[in-house]
Amino acid sequence: MTDRTEKLLLVGDNPFHNISHLSQDRTKLRDRSVVDPSCAAGLVMTSLDNGANGFMFSVSETTLSILERIRDAGRIEDMSLLAIVPYAYEYVRLAAQTGGIVGLAKVFSKRLASSGRFKAIAVGAGGLLRANPTSLLEAYLSYEIGRTRSSAGKHAKIKSMLLHEVIVDMALALNLEWLFRAYIDFMIKQKFTPGFNTCNFAYLVDKFRNWDIDLTRMIVAAPFNKIGFQMNPSRDESERALRSLDGPFLIAISILGAGYLRLDEAVQYVASLPNLKGTAVGISKEKHAEETFRFLMSKFG
Amino acid sequence: MSSERLRVAVVGLGKMGIVHSCVLNVLPNVEIVAVCEKSGMIRRFAKKIFKGVSILDDVSKLADLDLDAAFVTTPIPSHFAVTKALYANNVVRNVFVEKTLADNSEQASELTELARKSEGVNMVGYLRRFYVTFRKARELLLQKAIGVPSSFEGYAYSADFCDGRGVTDVLVSRGGILRDLGCYAIDLSLWFFGDIHLSDEETCVHNGASDSIAFEVKGPGGLVGRLEVSPYMPDYRMPEVGFLVKGSEGEIVVNDDRVELKPADGKGSTWYRHDLNDSVPFCLGLPEYYREDLLFIESVIGQCRAEPDFDMAAKVDDIICRIEQGGRDD
Repeated sequence: MTDRTEKLLLVGDNPFHNISHLSQDRTKLRDRSVVDPSCAAGLVMTSLDNGANGFMFSVSETTLSILERIRDAGRIEDMSLLAIVPYAYEYVRLAAQTGGIVGLAKVFSKRLASSGRFKAIAVGAGGLLRANPTSLLEAYLSYEIGRTRSSAGKHAKIKSMLLHEVIVDMALALNLEWLFRAYIDFMIKQKFTPGFNTCNFAYLVDKFRNWDIDLTRMIVAAPFNKIGFQMNPSRDESERALRSLDGPFLIAISILGAGYLRLDEAVQYVASLPNLKGTAVGISKEKHAEETFRFLMSKFG
Repeated sequence: MSSERLRVAVVGLGKMGIVHSCVLNVLPNVEIVAVCEKSGMIRRFAKKIFKGVSILDDVSKLADLDLDAAFVTTPIPSHFAVTKALYANNVVRNVFVEKTLADNSEQASELTELARKSEGVNMVGYLRRFYVTFRKARELLLQKAIGVPSSFEGYAYSADFCDGRGVTDVLVSRGGILRDLGCYAIDLSLWFFGDIHLSDEETCVHNGASDSIAFEVKGPGGLVGRLEVSPYMPDYRMPEVGFLVKGSEGEIVVNDDRVELKPADGKGSTWYRHDLNDSVPFCLGLPEYYREDLLFIESVIGQCRAEPDFDMAAKVDDIICRIEQGGRDD
């Protein structure tokens, strides 16, 4: 389970996918080398040299390549890995290209079948035949765990395979308590800390309380920033929900409001939050990596 | 209404059907009572996920459910048949249809007439009207912040088909690039400027689905505009719509992320989503889905007009049809 004293200072992967939540225009102005896995791996390692102790990433071909390079450089043991699955962008785009959910299911089935992960294939096939979403979830998670482990190597410290906000928020909306329980049970069986990425932090806290699920022994990655950007329904409600629990479980993301805030004002706000387990910040330049994690280290280290 | 909570059905459980189902399920005054889906595989999974909800394979089976509203979220080519069946069989009076309303202007006109006769609330899912940036831009235009608009350039770009995969079949099944993506730019042009109409166009047709397209429009008071639509723009990781509007007293630049006011004689201002109160009670993917569904549901409860309604959306279909036919209308 989660080490309740460790503070995680994580490198986020948005810039490595050329994402900016401030403005797509910004990504066009960025140095494109940041999407090159070698360059990105270098930035992660520079961050490690300056105080970062982990990497939070969506599982994709790009980030798996980055992990391989960090592993080859002998630095993979220096950090905690927090993976987020699925890489929603890739699957949404695939759905667009293949004609929707049925097309996407076919593509994923082919990928799973060709992965050579026989247990996952068997569980997935059984899930499809019986229309059992829990089996499909387990097959999918096994597939993602397998390919992350392959790239990161046996010495990697994979702390959690967090569920992406698209899945978490959908399951919250549809009251799928059984799906959350199935995921939590499977993660614990795999010796990972269950984790959830959400855009509805307050809603998630309230739901889990109603379901009697103890969030404080898990990880929740959610936007927390001074301007309330992506904090639904509001900053006040998100802070209220955070205060209502007792234990470090929050990974604050989007702390810079996608580049809207200065680092010092962003960190000042985050440092004031209770129940903070850590924070993730994306970096796209060596200088950013040095400055950002030195500063975070000075506040949280 | 038949009860305190609106009894709602969702027809079509693809990506948009799932999104709307989720958002509707968190609205306090809504109960999803039925989901209708053609795919047997999806229906089998839906039965496990939507507990206590009727999972059906045909819209005619919705007739006995005493519905207050229905959401049509099937692929565009089937919007007409599904929506017509809902009205013709008196299944429901209040109907939301994902964009575009129909596959051609004749179908759109027929649906508009059926909706009028039903005397219910109708709406089409032009999501970008619910982006805080486009709302701000419209507010600025209404305030005459740039005087009288004289010209505009708009675009709807994505990188969806940059790698060439699935270009023909999938684009056709989604109604072509104009219905899939370009409709947003057309709808916003109508919303911003009023009654625009086609003045010229250049298209490149690729196996029946329109490829990258540029066309010119004219509007009230001598307004001229140019719109470009392409799913082959590698820099547009996420689909994006944007406009540059020139007026007698300045310019407005707006896209999905920001709006910039450049007065001719003063200091400009830029607003990002961050500045425009973008939070919602529940966010699934984008906050706009919540705003959109809430507006429709509140309009049904209050039995008042929802925008954009079928009548407005039919104008988008009409412009798309004219572009596809390669004609100008002036």
